[in-house]
Amino acid sequence: MSAQRVSMRRRSTSLTLALLALGLLTGSVTAQEKRLSLLTWNIPVYKEKIDGWIADFNKVHPDVTVEWFDKKGPEWGPFYQTQVVAGTAPDIIDTQGAIWLEYAANGGLVDLTPYLERDRAVKEHYNPTFLRTWVYEGKTYMVPFYVSKTLLFYNKTMMREAGVTRPPQTFDELLEAARKMTKGEKSGFVTLNFDWLYWPLLAMNGVELLTPDLKKAAFNTPAAVKTVEALARATADGTINKVAWTGRWVEPNNAFAGGTVGFYQAHSPAFFYVRGGGPWINAETLGAAPMPGGFATPNSHGLGISKSSKHPELAWEFIKLATSDKWAYTFGKTLKVFTGTRVDSRLLEELQNEDPLAASVMKTQLEHLDRLVATWPLGKDAQVKEAFYSEFQAAVLGRKPAAVALAEAERKVNRLLAR
Amino acid sequence: MLSVQTWSPFRPSAFAGLVHYEELLFHDEVFWTSLWNTVVFMASSPIAIALALGLALLVDTRIRGRGIYRAIIFLSYPLMTVAVGVIWRWLYDEKVGLINYVLLSLGVTRRPIAFLDSYEWAMPSVVVAAVWQIVGFFMVILLAGLQNIPPNLQEAAALDGASAWQRFRSITLPLLRPAIFLCLVIGIINSFTSFDLIYVMTGGGPNHATEVLITYIYRSAFVLSKFDYAAALTVVLFVFLLALTWLANRATGGEAGAVDAAE
Repeated sequence: MSAQRVSMRRRSTSLTLALLALGLLTGSVTAQEKRLSLLTWNIPVYKEKIDGWIADFNKVHPDVTVEWFDKKGPEWGPFYQTQVVAGTAPDIIDTQGAIWLEYAANGGLVDLTPYLERDRAVKEHYNPTFLRTWVYEGKTYMVPFYVSKTLLFYNKTMMREAGVTRPPQTFDELLEAARKMTKGEKSGFVTLNFDWLYWPLLAMNGVELLTPDLKKAAFNTPAAVKTVEALARATADGTINKVAWTGRWVEPNNAFAGGTVGFYQAHSPAFFYVRGGGPWINAETLGAAPMPGGFATPNSHGLGISKSSKHPELAWEFIKLATSDKWAYTFGKTLKVFTGTRVDSRLLEELQNEDPLAASVMKTQLEHLDRLVATWPLGKDAQVKEAFYSEFQAAVLGRKPAAVALAEAERKVNRLLAR
Repeated sequence: MLSVQTWSPFRPSAFAGLVHYEELLFHDEVFWTSLWNTVVFMASSPIAIALALGLALLVDTRIRGRGIYRAIIFLSYPLMTVAVGVIWRWLYDEKVGLINYVLLSLGVTRRPIAFLDSYEWAMPSVVVAAVWQIVGFFMVILLAGLQNIPPNLQEAAALDGASAWQRFRSITLPLLRPAIFLCLVIGIINSFTSFDLIYVMTGGGPNHATEVLITYIYRSAFVLSKFDYAAALTVVLFVFLLALTWLANRATGGEAGAVDAAE
């Protein structure tokens, strides 16, 4: 009997130990499974601070492992898309411009509206105008990470030499002043052209891309034809530097940094690039103003959550932390950008003391927020952009008459929207 | 399979029939532009082969330091294509480019030429860079072919009174046919896969002026997120490549490989 008891006791002890080990093992597996991944857009220089986000996050959620990836602009899209296909999409993503729209339209992003409704204080932390730029079909898919919009930089020396006394107030004034500054190697105007950044030129002439219901093209109007013809003439006679229509980021920046361009339409990050390459730039020689009419295209970065995320609640907690007062302020201070949150006014105040020229540029980013253009919530934004720009570019570079190009663009855009 | 489906990374696929093929054949101008540009780019292969043949004949003669010349000519080939693209971008630059500097200094032009930003110059400029890179490789292939030609054939023809041109036309060229065929096939394949050079130099622009099928496939998939459409473009590229290889084989006698085997 006693031997049987001993044997049974041994068995039950072994079973208990096995169950305990299994429980521990399962527990540790569960803990290991809590993983969050973060994909950012070309901010490797911010590594130290992102480690700070993760450290802060781990203080509250010690059981979560956060993995960070950063990709340069051209690599970001292919990387994210391949990860989505592989079923390993990063939980939290930082997107630029309108790239998020396609993901949202195809059900690839978590609707953040309920989270924002639940955390009202967090919602109020964000600038409502910028927050609205991430709404698709009534749902908010991203929150501001850092924000920017287009403005007009002007070369005061070239303006003085040409007898131009103030930044332009209208489209005609813009081209007229640009023409006066054009001489030999010098050209009057250049613009960035990606992500609809050139659109203020059309918006200030009353041109709308689409009908209010977003179902049809609305840009093929006499006003648009006249505007495109004027831009084509100015490009042909050298008033507008051709890189305005052929370059992307580096070429227009370099052209303006070279000191041979009078006006430059770009968003605020261009300032830091241009100042780095333009030794002529100081408060006496460079000015910043809104484009005529105050029109501007935003080109901001937002944070969102992939639909495939296994831990959307944790991802939301992480986003709240990354955009909190502490970290939004640190981000803005370190990289000299605005964050689309309430810390921006403090950042501007401090910048005015530390770097008045940068402050004069950054100030424009918080003005005329009612004049943001090219924010159409289109699921096919990239395709519409391509369809329109290829024809617009042909017209301004003199390859096609403006009327023909706009008619062709209208046909292409309508065909895309109808599908 | 993807080319007859609608598919995106975010949605499951569904059968779509030939809708993408209809789109590219009847509604997509950029497809035709990129196809034409691919043909133009491909046409640079015979130019490169002719140049390489000239160079191979030169370095096959008994001149001093011919080994060094061969090495110099071949040097462009092992360079990374991305590096070649960057080098040529600098050379073509409107402000600081060597080519514009030389042209302006010689008085050939009064204003710098925006080689890579102009419709007229962008494609020829990219073709020059592509030819520059491949010519050394073709030269090595042709040189090997030249050295395989038995010298007694040339000597016998010379004794019979054949001129240098006659010997070249009747002995050298026919016996070089396998090597030329190989260069042609490599050149064609290269022209269909020259993604990196064009991507670095022009990105397919300005306004698709240098867009070739391979860059358009990339743009469709990863910029416009039309993966299904990109798959249809890839099928077209494959069929086109197959047809051209068959044609090249026919044009060089139809049994280019068999000549080698017989020898």
